[in-house]
Amino acid sequence: MPPTPPRPGRRGRHASGITLAASALSAFALVAACAGPPQPSGPGGQDAYTLSADTPAAKGQLDSFSWALYAEPPTLDYLQAFDYPQNTVLSNICESLMRWTPQLKEEPGLAERATNPDPTTWVFDLRPGVKFQDGTVMTADDVVFSLDRQRNPDNGGAWANEFQNVDTIARTGPLQVTIKLKTPDSQFPQYMATAAGVVASARGVQAAGKDYGTSGSLDCTGPYRLGSWTKGQSIELDRFDDYWGARAKSKKVVFEFLTDPSARTNALLTGEADGGYLIPTESYARLKNSSAGTLYFGESLSTVNVNVTNTHGPLGDVRVRKALSLAIDRAGFVSTGLGGNGTATTSLTSKAAWAAADAATQQAALGGLQPTAQDIAQATQLIKDAGARGKTLTMATSSIGQDVSLLATAVQSAGTRIGLDIQLRTIAPDAFTALFTDPKAREGIDMFPETYYLSITDPMDLLTNFQTGSYQNYAGYSDKAYDDLVKQAVGTYDPAQRLAIEARLNQQAADQALWIPVAQWPTSLFMNKRITGAPTTISYMYYPWAADVGAAR
Amino acid sequence: MTTVLTRRPGLARLRAARQPLYLACLGFVVLVVLAALLAPWLAPGDPNTVDLGNVLAGPSADHLLGVDAAGRDTLSRLLLGARTSLIGPLGVVVFATLAGVAVGVAAGWRGGWLDSVLSRSTELVFAFPGMLLAILIVTVYGEGLLAPVLALAIAYLPYVSRLTRSLVLAERERPYVAAYQVQGHSSLQICLRHVIPNIAPVVLAQSTINFGYALIDLAGLSYLGLGVPALTPDWGRMVFDGQTAIQRGYPLSALLPCLVIVLTVVAFNVVGERWADQVARRDR
Repeated sequence: MPPTPPRPGRRGRHASGITLAASALSAFALVAACAGPPQPSGPGGQDAYTLSADTPAAKGQLDSFSWALYAEPPTLDYLQAFDYPQNTVLSNICESLMRWTPQLKEEPGLAERATNPDPTTWVFDLRPGVKFQDGTVMTADDVVFSLDRQRNPDNGGAWANEFQNVDTIARTGPLQVTIKLKTPDSQFPQYMATAAGVVASARGVQAAGKDYGTSGSLDCTGPYRLGSWTKGQSIELDRFDDYWGARAKSKKVVFEFLTDPSARTNALLTGEADGGYLIPTESYARLKNSSAGTLYFGESLSTVNVNVTNTHGPLGDVRVRKALSLAIDRAGFVSTGLGGNGTATTSLTSKAAWAAADAATQQAALGGLQPTAQDIAQATQLIKDAGARGKTLTMATSSIGQDVSLLATAVQSAGTRIGLDIQLRTIAPDAFTALFTDPKAREGIDMFPETYYLSITDPMDLLTNFQTGSYQNYAGYSDKAYDDLVKQAVGTYDPAQRLAIEARLNQQAADQALWIPVAQWPTSLFMNKRITGAPTTISYMYYPWAADVGAAR
Repeated sequence: MTTVLTRRPGLARLRAARQPLYLACLGFVVLVVLAALLAPWLAPGDPNTVDLGNVLAGPSADHLLGVDAAGRDTLSRLLLGARTSLIGPLGVVVFATLAGVAVGVAAGWRGGWLDSVLSRSTELVFAFPGMLLAILIVTVYGEGLLAPVLALAIAYLPYVSRLTRSLVLAERERPYVAAYQVQGHSSLQICLRHVIPNIAPVVLAQSTINFGYALIDLAGLSYLGLGVPALTPDWGRMVFDGQTAIQRGYPLSALLPCLVIVLTVVAFNVVGERWADQVARRDR
């Protein structure tokens, strides 16, 4: 057999072996040095965080700024504006009759006045001379058309529930709309500051037909108009120069869809994106310590929950739901899943949502709830009593962020410790929003992580979800006593009296563990040194926040 | 022997002539296989036990290789992960080899129209990237190991069938085949008893190399969140889960599975190449 001929490219074979071993060793040493528990910097083992009321006002104009979004909105039709990606964009294009301010108060929007001559009548007097982005002027007819579109069951709108008490919507003057309610409804006027109260040009919407929201103009009144939409990549908004209010400070806004949390963080650090809301929690420390910009936290009225979507299986037994609630490591989730920037809770509604209530009402709403600490022994006993040992449950998870993926892991771990078999089903980030709208997407899923933000400064926004037939009542919970209390609260215009009733609802929802609350989570906002002015609060869902963003210097 | 094994550009530069490298790689392959087989007994803890109060901790007496971003023991996950990470490529290789040999032998032995049909069909599969096919199938059938394994097996089939066909074409011309034919042996008997055993070492060498490629492809799918379900310990999935650890600046739990994947792929390649070399030398 002839000797094997020498092969090219193999010089210094012995040296390369040693080099290889040395490199491997040093790599391992380096890596080992990189591992270690993050040092908590605040009391109680958590990073201390403070809420900022606002950000410094813009000092100048901008040609353009870019904004990171974690997912692409499926549509920008205001009927389906119920989730972060679509609302973050749409709030700058379409406006509502009323406006939710960055301080989370309500003020006049497209209606310059809202009056309530009797408990079942609301009269909205419209702002004169407001132009749509198609150049036409807003009239009462456009308002009637836009609100009727929400009510039409054929349209399957996400806000239809908010119109259930509406009897008639009529034009009572060229710039006046009168809404007659079937029964007094304290929530309805508040929702007129959300996407439920959006006014779009009747002509524009009818002309777009089924394509409305996915291509072409949205023909609303906001400070920006929809520019180009490159599917899968970005949405551009162009300043609407005929806007009735203060002109937007930037000519253009570019929303970049960055579904990967690492890519999103890197985009913020490198300046590829100038800013973003909903910062991946694992990046809080990097962004906080970065000199590229500032990380802010704001009032969110948000709680991170486990949404129970199926009560036909083991979760139909309240003892199983309670057991899971007792077994979740909330403190661990806050520390890890929320990067220490949150508060463990067993209340479905955040404490800030009760700010308008007196001390006694706050105590009635939030006092005496299950402690946030884990109680594995009691939880295991409950599972045993319910005969649910070994039963299988499926929880959805996604790589949207740690608030979702780590909560799913925490629930799975909690379930395992108390004798349940919890499977995780991975949902793609872009498909996650379908869990809220599509019953087929929820098939075979018993629970999914849901961060619920209040769309109005009133706990009722969440508590009505457990009313029979409500949009987000996926599990089909039905209790006459609960429904009666909801009706009573809805019919009460006096905030103090209403909050007292809501406190009872909050307790009942917690007692029944209809969803499993885990933590209160503030909004997060990052802006690099180039820009400033965006509000820190959850108001960005409905408030035209991008108009306030301008040059920092 | 003029038949050349199919290797990917990056890994084709690795040569296995050196005895120490071959032995080290063979040792590593044996170690990984043993780790996979004995994982339940070797693993220090449950790979899915979460400890949110102790995430990303470095190596310690309790956790020899530290813990991940959910506080799960990295060593246990690596050991248990060896099972899924090896079973997947094994499935791909077994299916691709059996089907590829059947197709290659039929095409090479019979020739004519059958050869044309089989060769063109397998070339069609070549034109479609294996990973893309796997992503498509997983999207339709949902997560799990079976769908990507089947998709990759189909994608790997042409590599084996083409090699087998060329080997059979050469083997068919050998005098012993004519001798068996004269003695009245059927084609099936000759193929099964003589031709396939004679070409087997080269095919097995190719399959060993394919094993490494399938491992890296499946790990890639898991990294994209398309392979095994979320809770299953799997090296690719560990890298996917480790992104959080990298973001937070403690990347050990992500780098270790990367290292194991790379070493395993290289080891299988070197071993496969060495076997092929040995067969080539013997034939000369």
